[in-house]
Amino acid sequence: MEKVAAAGGMPDTRAVAVRRRFVKDFLTNKYLYIMMIPVIAYYAVFHYAPMYGAIIAFKDYTPIKGVLDSKWVGLEHFSSFFGSYYFWRILKNTLIISLYSLLFEFPAPIILAIIINEVRNKVFKKTVQLITYMPYFISMIVIAGMIKDFTKSDGIITMLLTYFGGENTAMLQHPQLFRPIYIVSEIWQKIGWESIIYLAALMGIDQEQYEAARMDGAGRFKQIWYVTLPGILPTITILFILRMGNMLNVGFEKIILLYNPMIYETADVISSFVYRKGLLEFGWSYSAAVGLFNSVVNLMLLIAANWISRRVNSHSLW
Amino acid sequence: MSKSLSETWFDGAIYIVLTLLMVVTLYPLLHVAFASVSNANELIAHRGVMWKPLGLSFEAYKTVFANGEMLRGYRNTLFIVVVGVSLNLAVTALGAYVLSRKNVMWNKAFLAVIVFTMFFGGGLIPLYLVVKGVGLYNSLWSTIIPFVVNTFNLIVMRTAFQSVPDSLEESAKIDGANHFVILFRIIIPLSLPVMAVMGMFYAVEKWNGWFYASIFLQDRDLYPLQIMLREILILNSTDFITSSAAVGEQVQIGETVKYATIMVATLPILAVYPFVQKYFVKGVMIGALKG
Amino acid sequence: MKQRRRMITTVVSILILSIAMLGCASNSNTNKEGAGNLQASPETTEAAGTDMSSYPMKTDKKLTYWAEYITVKPTIGEVPFFQEWQKRTGVPVEFISPPAGQEKEGLNVLLASGDLPDLIEYDWFSFPGGPEKAISDGYILRLNDYIDKYAPNYKKYLQEHPEVDKLVKTDNGSYYTFPFLRGDPLLQVYQGPIVRKDMLDELGLAIPETMDDYYNVLKALKGKGLASPLSITGLSGFSYGAFVGAYGTNRGWYQQDGKVMFGPMQPGYKDFLETMSKWYAEGLIDKNMATIDGKALDANITSGATGVTIGNAGGGIGKWLPVLRESNPNAVLAPAPYPVLNKGETPMFGQKDFVYTTYDNVAISATSKNIELAVRLLDWGYSEEGHMFHNFGQEGLSYEMVDGYPKYTDLLMNNPEQLPPAQAMKLYIRGNSGGPFVQDKRYIEQYLALPEQQEAIKIWANTDVDKYTLGLITPTSEESSEMAKIMNDVNTLIDEMTLKIILGTEKIDAYDKYMEKLKSLKIDRAIEIQQAASDRFNNR
Repeated sequence: MEKVAAAGGMPDTRAVAVRRRFVKDFLTNKYLYIMMIPVIAYYAVFHYAPMYGAIIAFKDYTPIKGVLDSKWVGLEHFSSFFGSYYFWRILKNTLIISLYSLLFEFPAPIILAIIINEVRNKVFKKTVQLITYMPYFISMIVIAGMIKDFTKSDGIITMLLTYFGGENTAMLQHPQLFRPIYIVSEIWQKIGWESIIYLAALMGIDQEQYEAARMDGAGRFKQIWYVTLPGILPTITILFILRMGNMLNVGFEKIILLYNPMIYETADVISSFVYRKGLLEFGWSYSAAVGLFNSVVNLMLLIAANWISRRVNSHSLW
Repeated sequence: MSKSLSETWFDGAIYIVLTLLMVVTLYPLLHVAFASVSNANELIAHRGVMWKPLGLSFEAYKTVFANGEMLRGYRNTLFIVVVGVSLNLAVTALGAYVLSRKNVMWNKAFLAVIVFTMFFGGGLIPLYLVVKGVGLYNSLWSTIIPFVVNTFNLIVMRTAFQSVPDSLEESAKIDGANHFVILFRIIIPLSLPVMAVMGMFYAVEKWNGWFYASIFLQDRDLYPLQIMLREILILNSTDFITSSAAVGEQVQIGETVKYATIMVATLPILAVYPFVQKYFVKGVMIGALKG
Repeated sequence: MKQRRRMITTVVSILILSIAMLGCASNSNTNKEGAGNLQASPETTEAAGTDMSSYPMKTDKKLTYWAEYITVKPTIGEVPFFQEWQKRTGVPVEFISPPAGQEKEGLNVLLASGDLPDLIEYDWFSFPGGPEKAISDGYILRLNDYIDKYAPNYKKYLQEHPEVDKLVKTDNGSYYTFPFLRGDPLLQVYQGPIVRKDMLDELGLAIPETMDDYYNVLKALKGKGLASPLSITGLSGFSYGAFVGAYGTNRGWYQQDGKVMFGPMQPGYKDFLETMSKWYAEGLIDKNMATIDGKALDANITSGATGVTIGNAGGGIGKWLPVLRESNPNAVLAPAPYPVLNKGETPMFGQKDFVYTTYDNVAISATSKNIELAVRLLDWGYSEEGHMFHNFGQEGLSYEMVDGYPKYTDLLMNNPEQLPPAQAMKLYIRGNSGGPFVQDKRYIEQYLALPEQQEAIKIWANTDVDKYTLGLITPTSEESSEMAKIMNDVNTLIDEMTLKIILGTEKIDAYDKYMEKLKSLKIDRAIEIQQAASDRFNNR
């Protein structure tokens, strides 16, 4: 005790108080801490123990030498990434696609869940859920194949748009059309799957609230606005925050299946650019550096989103 | 009970919108189903939307099921899913419960430590060395234990647990209930829809997972279904067969095999959702309150 | 108070972290030990009771062999070829393989674990940092001495083929693998222009040779009502120099009189772009050119919308013709020569693999305790008997000698269990996959069953590509990462420019502007690196 006081240079009484708080906290919550042991152990062993691997971002990693014995190169991989002629373009494209997803794809499943919630016919309701969730399971390569097929010069979507005055060429050859195609197909494939979590959250809403609202003469829209939405707001908030922590993670798989050099200017994102570099050489360290950059930005965005959310609607991750 | 006019319009609009959505989202699955039973040559020559199977041929399914290891693959996957998901749910629920309690001094630190892992990791090789180090290598457990908690799911579950009214626990505590009792008798029953969805998320993750299994398992007897299917796919891919090849109509099968493997891999997991839907029951809360 | 608490929380989380780090430190120790073991001197300790003077050898040792080899059999050990291989060489082999398609990750993990098998079949040429690095870091053996001592057959082959010898060693003269070698130029060629000959006949046109011929053919096909007379899968159709080559340049690197050139920078490339954009504007090239993938190309050709394409003898003609004939029995797909500018010229470029294909070659790990046995096992593939066995399998089972010609049996070509030839062959021979032997021309003569296919590889082989190719050059490991960085930007720029000009979103004048940008991407440095590597190669 004296040691702590001497080291910290603080009055004895405060140290005692801190200690008391610790002890008190431990005594009240010891069973909770015991329950937490498996979880913490899991994260320590399978996440923190391997984490030293992240240093390869600052090294020239080869599997031969292993993580620790590979040569240090400092920030070389970072400067190589930031120094690329295309760095700003791919960063911009990544952010725009993420932003569009956030604006259009993120709310879609929420709206679907709310609409489904309004359906009274149980069979219809279950059928809608089941069918809309199916496309999620079809592999990306097949989905991308369909998208390409539908949007080529004589594809069904192109023809439909031509009918309304569009141009009769492959839509994926037009830079300005890539983002809409990407986002709409994203909604198409994931709307049902992503609505499930909101549907589950909707089940937790107390039915008496709806009754009370009806008593007050609220119509369906008002009930949605005053009961349903607030009921799932915590879930929406949390998912929104987590989504913000994913802003720079636009996966490369779908992009590289859909893009071509004609539309690089809107379609090329960080991950697809790194993927192309990977084809030229194994860039373990380089991709680790890019991953680290993404993570840092993502984490900052998540923290910012959390901070804002806590002030705006009092729900937050922490 | 008579509906007002606007209510009727409202309902009508909902049905129309949802029906349209169903038509649009059903198509990919039908496309895959049709393609899988199509005649391979016609499929190769086909362009545009497919309204029905092109011819009828089950060759692709024969090719897929000709593999004698398929059954074992199903069995391994079943083990991974059943045991894995049970453990996933148990451990995640423990963590979510603790993190959802108020006035626990360390919770913020726990949460920070956990969220941090969503952004920073060590990559494949260090994880492989850890898995090998703790003796899980080449065991089905290596596809379960190292992934026992998904941080995203943990956070979602915690959010659900937080929304259970405090009053319920308080009364239970007064009755002398400990944390385990509160978790299993109050929190989980009141969060059944979310628990069911989490179970499904985990099940889908386990069902579709092949990458880590391919790294952590050496024994073919332990391979899950998805690895088998990938091998069939590669073996039958048109590129593989015809890379410098010729002749034979069976060569074209590759294109249909691609779709048949998707059907074989997808149908069983599609059946999970109706099961989950059973837990989507409203008003659980009210029942609990009154009972 | 609150701050204080926060600080303590932080301190403790750091503590937890460092405990975790401690765990990892001990982990890395084991890792190091593993690596240490690897460095242990590779003494050849041959046990008594071993007789390696003739095949089958006698040994009580068992070798371990890592390879990816996908067949309908679940494990490599169950493949008849490998069972017989062990019998004929007398060496028991235990096989280890990664799941299909996971070769790279599998090897990566294998190396990290430090527990190496005796033999590793992999693309060692493309190993990060180059094969020389794999040797110097102590993973695979430098084979020079062992080849001299234990591999008479392979050594003889190299002595007889100095041009191959140059390909299979590093700049420092190290041999690092037992390679898969193409024994005949016909085995190195598989891709080129393909035309619908029946349509040309109908129009009274000959097989095109010059760019003008091609233009006229495409024009005529367009007039006949074809939606997309020329279809290729995006820019990859030009990869080996089809159409570009007519203008004396290429899509990538080549050399002229020892000087390394980057194709898109040469003046001919502008002419190529101008012609292609003209063709596209006239509707001769598929409107969807940028988005066409293999599936779309298949559909174009098999539906008769396309009359000219770039494709493979097997995966092109062999795939399309049976489908085409189902609806149109008169359809003929014929090969055409790579286009040239003036009649009578030999095409400058065309697809042609190196004799040494680099994939599926076998190295011996530095930790192997059975080096002589391993070398002798692999050397057998280059012997007379091994050559026949690898290419044709077992006489009476997978081939019969007919007038001195090894003819594949129905087991391979018309499999009773309905396996496609490619799959059946993989069970009994290695002729169609790769491995430590020299591939025989008589394999492809039978494998390409259609006369059009046979003709195709002969016509496509007629180019000057050997004169202009860069060779299997190896930048040093530092250079190669610098190169990758530069070329990623460069390729992005060139691909974008090429498509935009062809598809007409940018005028041909934009070419000069792009060339200026190219300079700022340090293309000169890339040329310098390639030149140095090329010089080293030529000095081997």
